[in-house]
Formats: sequence, C-alpha cells, structure tokens
Amino acid sequence: MFQLDFMQNAFAAGLIISILCPFIGLFLVLRRYSMIGDTLSHSSFAGVAIGLVMGVNPILSAFLFTTLCAVVIEFLRGYYKKYAELVMSIVLTLSLGIAILLISSGKASAKVNSYLFGSILTVSSEDIKLILIVGIISLLTLIFLYNKLVYITFDEEGAKTSNINVKLINYIFTVLVGATISMSIRVMGLLVISSIMIVPVATAMQLKKGFKTTLIASIIFGMIDILLGLTLSYYIDSAPGGTIALTSVVTLFIVIIINKFLSNK
Amino acid sequence: MINIKNLCFSYSNKPPYALNNINLTIPDGVYLSIVGENGSCKTTLIKLILGILKPTLGSIEIDTNKIGYVPQRLDSFNSQFPITVKEVLSCHKNSLKDKNINILDILEIVNMNDYNNKLLGMLSGGQQQRVLIARALMGNPDIIILDEPSTGVDEINQKEIYSILRKLNKENNKTIISIEHNINIALENSTHILRIHKGEVKLFTVEEYKKLRDKNLDLDNVI
Repeated sequence: MFQLDFMQNAFAAGLIISILCPFIGLFLVLRRYSMIGDTLSHSSFAGVAIGLVMGVNPILSAFLFTTLCAVVIEFLRGYYKKYAELVMSIVLTLSLGIAILLISSGKASAKVNSYLFGSILTVSSEDIKLILIVGIISLLTLIFLYNKLVYITFDEEGAKTSNINVKLINYIFTVLVGATISMSIRVMGLLVISSIMIVPVATAMQLKKGFKTTLIASIIFGMIDILLGLTLSYYIDSAPGGTIALTSVVTLFIVIIINKFLSNK
Repeated sequence: MINIKNLCFSYSNKPPYALNNINLTIPDGVYLSIVGENGSCKTTLIKLILGILKPTLGSIEIDTNKIGYVPQRLDSFNSQFPITVKEVLSCHKNSLKDKNINILDILEIVNMNDYNNKLLGMLSGGQQQRVLIARALMGNPDIIILDEPSTGVDEINQKEIYSILRKLNKENNKTIISIEHNINIALENSTHILRIHKGEVKLFTVEEYKKLRDKNLDLDNVI
C-alpha cells in the first residue's frame, strides 16, 4: 500500500489534517460553534467550483474563498450576537448558491464528485506542498495563540478585561478554520469534513481530563480515525471521507463502552 | 480612585439612557456593594468601569490599570468543560506583564491549594467562585470587581468568600466593588452602598443607609 505514490500522498495529507482538524475542533466544540465547520465546508465547495470553472488549483481557490467567508462570518457575528446560527445560515446559503450555479452550468469539470466524497487517488504532490505550507502556518499560529484561545474559549469577557485583543484573535481563528477545512476537503470530502473536527474531540472529552490532555487526546483519536479510515478505504475500495467518518464514530462508541465498563467496576 | 463624570449609556447609543448623567467618585480602599432591582443596570455599570462597554456620553477615569474581575457564573462552569483549576489560572498568568506568580500561593489565599489539578466543572459553585477570585488576584490588583459573588453558592461557601473579601479590603487595602442582590449581605460586609434606581445612582455609607432604612424611608425617593 505504501509503495504507491498516491497512498503516500494521501497519508501525508491525512497526518497533517489529523493534527489540525481536532486542534481547531476542540475550540469550536467548547465555544458551541460546531456549525461553522459545516458552513465553511460549503464555502470550500463553492471555492472549489470557482477554481474548476476558472482553471486554477481548486484547493487554492477553496482556501481563498473560504477565508473570505470566514471574515464575513466574524463580521456578521457582531450584528447577531445572540443568534450566531443565523450568520452561519446566511453564509451557507451564499456558498451553496454559488456552488450549485457554477456546477449546474456544466463549466466545472467532472472532478467535482471527488471533492464531495474525498478521494485518495487524486491527491497530487502539488496538493501535498500546499497542504503542508498552509498546515504548518496554521499549526504555528495556533500554538502561538494557544493561551489566548483557551482564555477566550473559557471566558471571553474576562479575556477582554485582560487586554487580550479578542476581536482580532476571533478573526484569525475563523480564518484558520477556513484554511483547515479547505485544505482537508481533498482527502475527506466536504460532506464529512466537519466530522473529523468534531468527533475525535467528542471521544477525547469522554476521558474527562484537563484542556491540554483533551487536546492531545483529540489529536491522537484524529490520527487513529484518519489513518485507520484511509487504510480501510484502500482495502475495501470505498470513499475515504465516508470511511473515516464511520471509523471516528465507531471509535467514539468503543471509548464510551470502555468508559462505562470501567466506571461500573 | 474611580471618577465617573456625566456618564450616560444606552445600548442603542441614543436616548433614552439606561444610565443617565451619572456623577460619582469611588475612593480607594472602600468595599462598595452595588444594589438595585433587576434590570437596573448594575452589571452594565461595572462593564463600563471595566471597559467592556464604552460610554455613550461622559467619561470614566481610573487612576490604576490593575483591576481584577470576577464574573458571574460562566457557561463553561459545566461538568463537561475540560479545564483544570491550574489551567484557568495559567492562561490568566500568561496574559499578565509580570509572570512571576506562584499559582499555589494564590490558591492558598482562597483556601483552594488542594484543588490545583481538579477539573473546574467538578467543583461546587462556591469553590468555582473562589477559583475566579484567585484568578482576579493574580495581577495584584488595586481594585477587585465582582458580579454577584454569592449567586449559586451555599451558605458556608458564602461566608468563606465574604471573609476573604473583607480581609482583602481591610488588611490589603484593596478596593472591592461587588454587585449584591441580598441587601443584608451588602450591609454586613461593605463600607459603602451604591444604589441604582431608574438610571440614577446614590452613594451611601453603610451607616447612612441603615439609618434611612430604619426610618422606613422610601429609598427610591432618596435618589
């Protein structure tokens, strides 16, 4: 399996995604902002459609369009403080509208399905370079902002009184969410991308540990889900995104059952 | 000292104002309880002092930037939020200029040093409140502002919390500003009472307030 170039590329991409997605996902879950994953995955799809129509690298166009949508979300959040889900619906509607319009025009190529369901076969070396660059920048930014992000997640108003530039960090974080999603869409597919952000976190939270431990556990579970899912997808010839999503849910249930068994002992 | 001059505030930035032409000086070293009925903008006033909200008109001058804040019960105070007591204090420590602070020493002030590695969500309401007080103490603040510190806290923990606050005020000369729903707690612990009613405020010493109350005067008309 690993002698094949496309599998090496898929696993390399999977490894980067398995670190970034749960890292971002933990903050999304705890801020009760999980819907943003779905919204920006649709924005990524619109970005992919734009790229396919214009003949540019779809991952690059997905990254740019998703970043724009992320900024719009953060801007609109100021106007709908108590109804953040309304903002998500607005951006999701915009993104879906663009995607459907472009794809139904027939000007986007047939490759669009691989972005919906994910594809191991089509992860090229060029894609890996882009994923690696965006991935490393995103990870370094998250590490640099880690303490401030934890503070804002736990107590946003308290963070404001501690001279943390909460507005700026929220903008940066939302852009990072967009970057992570647009980068992951190639392997995972847009339909299930938010699952790899959320389900490993749900699994890690079963351990009932502190923030850092939960973060590390989320990343480990993310790695297990993606690498196991990709391997299964290769051998049973299934869409990688769907296989990874199902693997992540099975992992979650196994941990819940083990937890229950240990607590009953 | 906190100097509030001609302060007007409305969420829509235009009249009618929720807080109307407030002029007030809060001297150093007082223990001030802010009282008033629900919706009288007690929390709005402390958010203006903290700078979380900006005045529509007027100004607030504070001669120190060392202010500690203890918010009301947070959404993240649930048993599933994965954060330990130590992590709560660590992320605040990282936001301070002076990082030369021992977290265990700070927790000892609020009698929580044995709970360093416990999950915050598994503590009682009173213990959680004490952790937030410890967090507020980390920058050695001159002023500590608390939003309803006794809400959701049992009587034993309430006594412990107010004992800590009185000690910080009397022995460490810290200015305490605390929103209180229970006037008896306010009268028992504070040196001054700030009453907010229909967008206006009146400052009393505790003795003045008690005299007015004992005379059965309608305090709403005293403002």
